[in-house]
Amino acid sequence: MMSERTAATAEATAGADPAAEGAAPGAGVPAPAAAPEAAGGSPGGAAPAAPAAEAGVAAADAGAPAAPDPETTPWTGRSAWVFPAVTAAFGLLGLSGLATIETPPHAASPGPTVFPAVVGALLLVLAACMAVVNVRVARRGPSAAPPLPPVEWRPTLIVLAALVAATALLQALGWLLTGALLFWAVAYAFGARDHLRDAVVALAMSAAVQVGFSLGLGLSLPGGVLELMLP
Amino acid sequence: MESLSLLLGGFANALSPVNLLWAFLGVLLGTAVGVLPGMGSAMAVALLLPVTFRMDPTAAFILFAGVYYGGMFGGSTTSILLNTPGQASSIATTYEGHKMALGGRAAQALGTAVIGSFIASIVGTLIVALFSPPMVALALQFGPGEYFALTVFSFVAIAAVVSGSALRGIAALLIGLLIGMVGIDGQSGAARFDFGLPVMLDGIDIIVVTVGLLALAEVLYVVSRGNAAPDLKAIKTGAPWLSRRDMRRSAGPWVRGTALGSAFGPIPGSGAEIPTFLSLGLERKLAARREQRGGEPSEFGKGAIEGVAGPEAANNSSAAGTLVPLLGLGLPTSATAAIMLAAFQQYGMQPGPVLFERNADLVWTLLASLFIGSTLLLILNLPFAPLWAKLLKLPKPYLYAGITVCSVLAVYAINSSIAHLVMAVGVAVLGFGMRHFGVPVAPALIGVVLGPIAETELRRALAASSGDPSILVGSGISIGLYVLVLAAAAFPVLSAVRRARARKAEQNAAEPEETPVA
Repeated sequence: MMSERTAATAEATAGADPAAEGAAPGAGVPAPAAAPEAAGGSPGGAAPAAPAAEAGVAAADAGAPAAPDPETTPWTGRSAWVFPAVTAAFGLLGLSGLATIETPPHAASPGPTVFPAVVGALLLVLAACMAVVNVRVARRGPSAAPPLPPVEWRPTLIVLAALVAATALLQALGWLLTGALLFWAVAYAFGARDHLRDAVVALAMSAAVQVGFSLGLGLSLPGGVLELMLP
Repeated sequence: MESLSLLLGGFANALSPVNLLWAFLGVLLGTAVGVLPGMGSAMAVALLLPVTFRMDPTAAFILFAGVYYGGMFGGSTTSILLNTPGQASSIATTYEGHKMALGGRAAQALGTAVIGSFIASIVGTLIVALFSPPMVALALQFGPGEYFALTVFSFVAIAAVVSGSALRGIAALLIGLLIGMVGIDGQSGAARFDFGLPVMLDGIDIIVVTVGLLALAEVLYVVSRGNAAPDLKAIKTGAPWLSRRDMRRSAGPWVRGTALGSAFGPIPGSGAEIPTFLSLGLERKLAARREQRGGEPSEFGKGAIEGVAGPEAANNSSAAGTLVPLLGLGLPTSATAAIMLAAFQQYGMQPGPVLFERNADLVWTLLASLFIGSTLLLILNLPFAPLWAKLLKLPKPYLYAGITVCSVLAVYAINSSIAHLVMAVGVAVLGFGMRHFGVPVAPALIGVVLGPIAETELRRALAASSGDPSILVGSGISIGLYVLVLAAAAFPVLSAVRRARARKAEQNAAEPEETPVA
């Protein structure tokens, strides 16, 4: 059973990605993952095992799209380890529930720690599988498969910083200014450079939301400093 | 036939010029709120509920129905145009819908969504009106074991959207399950993963997860791609009407989606997510089979109209279906239903088995209002579908800045709480990472929504049987569901075998073996 599914997955990978024409090495990618995953699935009971089986299958079905799909792109380079690490971190978090969750004395038999621990353990197994896949991909050497598109860090960090700043300032500055600031910063990150017009649009947008939601729908948005200055 | 005459009585109550005006206003407001990225029907209803408290019940229900359907359509609009669904039930629409929009067929995608929603809500509401009592009886058959089987089934259903590695899909699902565990555990009262913060005790709100994982993560993803991201402005909005071919290809998915939604809607806890994903998977398989048999090629992955028509119909008919447990059992099974319950109680109505006897006139008025609401939605939004598609013509910086501001507003509006914003930004970073590394986001969201139900019901079942797992397969319903799960899992394995054989045959002889896949 297992080998057939693997073959199908490989076929899907090759079909989806004309660039990875050397289908033979590509075929190896999901293979190591499938075996330990099935082994790890059994303690988890029915819930996690069932999607495991079906998900393998969906991979087999998805041969159609011709456009490069990030979901079928193997991870390469150093960044390949980021998501396995995130998965492992979530796994450890789940397992840490065994220590941090205080079970009330009269809790019924599968207590509150059981499910987090099971999910955590499965996540660690998955992280290990991803690591195996990564090692295999790396051993194949620089492959024909296209790498993930590069991240433009500067604008991304600007958007993120704007979100963090808006969160921090909303209570103090009030919605009108915070909303406008957020709008302006995100527009800037997306390449708007007509600062004056951007600022006017941002303020108009923020004000429209304030009027629409505060007056029209009775949602109270924080006034912030403007509330102090205006009577 | 008695219910039919009662329904006509409801129409007599509901149809007056003033009420039609309320319905019109409701659809307009609902669409306007729903079309804001990150906001869907639940948000629209929640925001507009306080307004209805000052009105008489009939007018309030009419406004409500309009807002509900408007909000739902608005949520789908943003899924199609901007890839930022406003509610969990429109996620399935994004897959083909956004691809259609990118391919210059935004107006057609919106058109098929509107008509599909209309057909589905009419049929769905009619089914509720005519068959409520037997459906309530069926819903009462669902014990913890059956619920658990249902959630297992739905975890399998989401595989329809995992296109790449199974590992990544399962990891996303498990991460979602873990996020869903944050907060007070309903079974034992123990606090889980609260990190000592009181705000975490309530768990991570589903709106926070939706907005963070989908809307804000989309903004971050698009900005991170720089100029490589698809330019929405360059998209042609195309001819505004559905061609005959579009209609023909939508008709089947509308019917099948409506059937799926009506079947799953009344089951408490199933939500609209399961039928929408099932419909997407079904339509994809049927299209592939049609291609195999020499019919039109499947357009799935490139913007197939079937992938919009089916899930949208399923979404709306299951929304009507959720009225069954709400009215019949007093059991709200979705965020919107919970808000509607609050509205009922405002008027001194207690939904439950006796509601149909005690407040019959109001119930039938509500059902009639739903018909009116969905009809007005069709009348209002079908002509405006091309107009909404023009949203893509906004300058990209302003469009995404607007999405960001609306998302922040949507999260803040949940509880006027900064803590929710902090969580949303955290979830957005996670979502961005997942998008960048090609990890599917939908399984994570399904995990957050259905994980708590799965866990609670499993533990409740085991507690009831004092630890004997045989209770999980103790009824025909659950056995039937597990059989479906196994069938769904075995099916593709079998088709893989066939495909492998076909490939071998292809290598041996020049002619490929004629085997239908799936």
